[in-house]
Amino acid sequence: MWSVTDDALVAGLATGDPDAASAFVRRFQRRVFGLARTIVIDDRAAEDVAQEAFVRAWRHAGSYDPRRGSVVTWLLTITRNLAIDSVRVRRPLPVEPDSIVGLDQVSDERGLQELAELGDDVARLKLALARLPEDQRRAVVLAGLMGYTAREISEIENIPLGTAKTRIRTALIRLRAAMVAEERAE
Amino acid sequence: MSTYTCQQVREVAPELALGVLGGAERAEAVAHLTNCSRCQAYVAELTEAADILPLMVAEREPPPGFEDRVLAGLHTERRRSRRRWFLTVASVAAAAAIVSITLVRVIDARTETPSAAPVPTTATAPAPAAAGMTQARMVDVTDGAPAGWVYVSGGRTVALAIAYGVAPGRYDIEVHPAGSEPVTIGAVDVQEYRGSWMGSSPVAIGAGDTVSLVSATGTAVCHGTLTTTQ
Repeated sequence: MWSVTDDALVAGLATGDPDAASAFVRRFQRRVFGLARTIVIDDRAAEDVAQEAFVRAWRHAGSYDPRRGSVVTWLLTITRNLAIDSVRVRRPLPVEPDSIVGLDQVSDERGLQELAELGDDVARLKLALARLPEDQRRAVVLAGLMGYTAREISEIENIPLGTAKTRIRTALIRLRAAMVAEERAE
Repeated sequence: MSTYTCQQVREVAPELALGVLGGAERAEAVAHLTNCSRCQAYVAELTEAADILPLMVAEREPPPGFEDRVLAGLHTERRRSRRRWFLTVASVAAAAAIVSITLVRVIDARTETPSAAPVPTTATAPAPAAAGMTQARMVDVTDGAPAGWVYVSGGRTVALAIAYGVAPGRYDIEVHPAGSEPVTIGAVDVQEYRGSWMGSSPVAIGAGDTVSLVSATGTAVCHGTLTTTQ
């Protein structure tokens, strides 16, 4: 059970297999809790979100489609949406975006080089994020991870709405382009 | 029908991909996407990049006991879900019984021999769901790897789900009551390792009996022995 693929674990979850459920939770709990805690900034609330994320995943395991993304991105999307919904009313103060994505520790060229050598999707994206102008990086992290809308970002950053939209748009398009370029270079 | 052009959709596509586009803009963009495969592909590309963002957040050890609490929650959900499934089966069985009772009344009326009380057709109506539920984990016959799950309600109503390990194809579903010959009760199509079937068994089956999937060449590929559901 421990060596099975993520896809097979989800299939097991869909059939109600208790062993699959146990292995699934064990495999992803740190990722799910980490993301929930980052967004809601409260241990107790994060645990509630993380628990609900696993229940949702269990409920919808039968409709998981591997062609539309990996298990972990599917599960983290569920987690992110639940976490954002749970803080829709009491919005925590924005955390420094660079620290959310771990870029505060790789600000120098050597750190970036180490990232480039990792070569996986996450490292590629992190590298591309690190190379964005800071205002665009903040905008895309606040939107993509913390769920802030362009309007909310315009208020937080004290910039016109159009500027916030442009920063989000430019940042994500650049991230995508960087990922494609890296893939082609391999 | 959306009033948005491709250009307008591309302007808001990043916010849509990041899940932060709201209200009317989102509705217009989504409406446009239903009829524009090029914009669909564009949003899908951006979504691929957006979906990786949460992976960049550091993992964090949850509080002690978290895993047990999650599994307990899933167990409760599973029981609720089974109860819902059980009630569905029970209502189907009840509906079938009502239909058969109605048919008896109609037939009685047409033969001008009205009966004072409805006579249920016990030969064809499913057994009462309250008679109990059994289940089995289907496993590969050669290496015991998990393949799926089967539930039996009232000894007759069978729900089968194959989720992994079974090659694509059409398989006969055989039930093997202890001490009797196997009986084929239906067939399930497995595609991309998944398939499901729900129907009625002509023979009563319960704990200790076996359910198997048999390939076109007559080889059993996976099986499970029913046990009583707790």
